[in-house]
Amino acid sequence: MLHYIIKRLLLMIPTLFGVAVLIFLLLRVVPGDVVEARYMSQGSQFTSQDLMNIERKKLGLDQPLWKQFTSWMGGVLRLDFGLSMWTGSPITEEIKLRFALSLQLAVMATVVATLLAIPLGILAAVKQDTWIDYAVRVFSIAGLAMPSFWLGILMILVMLIVFKWLPPMVFTPFWVDPWENLAQLIWPALAVGYRYSAVATRMMRSAMLEVLREDYIRTARAKGLWLKLILTRHAMKNAMLPVLTVIGLEFAFLMGGLVVTEQVFNLNGLGMLFVEAISQRDYTLTQALVLIVAAVFIFVNFATDIAYAWLDPRIRYR
Amino acid sequence: MASLLEVRNLQTSFSTASGVVRAVDGVSWDVREGETVALVGESGCGKSVSALSVMRLVAEPAGRIEGGQILFKGRDLLLLSDEEMRHVRGREIAMIFQEPMTSLNPVLTIGRQLTEGLEIHMKMAREPAQARAIELLGMVGIPDPARRLGQYPHHFSGGMRQRMMIAMALACNPSLILADEPTTALDVTIQAQILELLKDLSRRLGVAMLIITHNLGVVARYADRVNVMYAGRIIEQASAGDLYGDPQHPYTLGLLRSVPRLDEPRRAHLAPIEGQPPDLTRLPPGCAFAPRCAFRVERCAEAVPPLRSLGSAEHLTACWEAERLVNRAAA
Repeated sequence: MLHYIIKRLLLMIPTLFGVAVLIFLLLRVVPGDVVEARYMSQGSQFTSQDLMNIERKKLGLDQPLWKQFTSWMGGVLRLDFGLSMWTGSPITEEIKLRFALSLQLAVMATVVATLLAIPLGILAAVKQDTWIDYAVRVFSIAGLAMPSFWLGILMILVMLIVFKWLPPMVFTPFWVDPWENLAQLIWPALAVGYRYSAVATRMMRSAMLEVLREDYIRTARAKGLWLKLILTRHAMKNAMLPVLTVIGLEFAFLMGGLVVTEQVFNLNGLGMLFVEAISQRDYTLTQALVLIVAAVFIFVNFATDIAYAWLDPRIRYR
Repeated sequence: MASLLEVRNLQTSFSTASGVVRAVDGVSWDVREGETVALVGESGCGKSVSALSVMRLVAEPAGRIEGGQILFKGRDLLLLSDEEMRHVRGREIAMIFQEPMTSLNPVLTIGRQLTEGLEIHMKMAREPAQARAIELLGMVGIPDPARRLGQYPHHFSGGMRQRMMIAMALACNPSLILADEPTTALDVTIQAQILELLKDLSRRLGVAMLIITHNLGVVARYADRVNVMYAGRIIEQASAGDLYGDPQHPYTLGLLRSVPRLDEPRRAHLAPIEGQPPDLTRLPPGCAFAPRCAFRVERCAEAVPPLRSLGSAEHLTACWEAERLVNRAAA
């Protein structure tokens, strides 16, 4: 098992390298660069080419591609992502807080989703085709159908109009003031977690229904076990595998994919930064973000595989 | 000897897309203390459903026990609350299933699956339950039992899993074991081993056993009494010796003739029963076996023959023409 873990960790390196090459080239294939983006956005179409070329030279964009790539990679190896081409400030500094925020939000949303999905999924499966099952299914369909930013807007409006209270709009890191931090992040976590739970609930329900028809569940019942024990000990562990896959994929998506929700709750997470970086043709920042999100994706997949082996003893990796 | 389990006029049906299937249609049989009774028939004749009905494990909501009584030690199991029934399952009546490959939970250790019944029914603590589990695995002939407790079912072969199922069934010293085709999924060589083990343990521990099988060889060797089922009804009921020596129903006769025998000349032809088992959703009004029967008369298509005795109270047959059959055999 240890051997397998080390192998998987080492395999992350070529994967990330591939991602790095791909994003580096893709960005440069797209027309326009940061210099153009800046001067054009200021409305002047008559900026002299010479001036733009001086700017490009400053940013190193005049260098041949392989040179740009190696110098970027050299930095990445030292965990130095360089300077943002747009703002000129160090990327590591820029990303640090936003990464913490996105990670915390993703974790909280996952907790919300798991706490909703697993009990609801089990309940719906056990009470299949009763009103409880229908209620759970309506609840989860509603979660799928409602965009989480819209739910977020609703939540803010309700808090404002009914409770005359607004969650804090400025991010406070957890380690500075946990209460202030949670008071802000719990709402987006609920809004995102609800939609997220909808997928997981449906998965849990169908996996559970399948498992409950298995022969070993009949064996457990023939042994005279309590229903609760049959569900938690015999059925749940078997039904968790597909749910885990959904949770893992969704978690990784949350790290970089929450753009509108971040805007609704005035959160400075990675999602918004992503959009800005791309629209500004900020090569260095975009590259850094893609690399980080890719690393999270790979790591979450890896963690899911490890959890698989823990849940199902038949799975042994080598 | 007193009846341990007495099933009276049991009716279990399933609602399916093509109509209601009377899987078990007014069946009565009993098991006495310490004896082994066989329930024989082709697949789909209702023998497994009978056993599942006793455990009240018929898959709901499609399956339903419509009527009858299941008297176990004088109590009607069909009247018990779910919680009372839970105390009967595993503690007083244990069940062994057909498919050892899928009947054990793949993600729980052997030890966990063996001890949970002990912990729940016998209120055993962890340590004594583990000791008992080791003892049980030893009893069913699994080598190095202490080490096996930490293993998972996929480490076991089919035969070992069935041994494990037997150990699990015996865990709480039940007075009755229902064995539903316990050897059908196993290799022929293993089948004999498992049956010998079952017979030996049930005799030694004084456990009564119901063996469900379609294998007449198994019946001959291991059962004291036999119930032959066809299309949801019992068509002949006798001691094992009587059934073989003096079959009184054309179906039983057909079954016996279709078994190859070692003491017959090599080139002797087997005599299969012609036709197919009936569609349970569209049973004929009379005897369900009539369309395939060589002794068929007009009455067979009109009324269901009741179980009746031709003399011995222990030997019952459900055939209008049983006398003709017996006389012909005697002639």
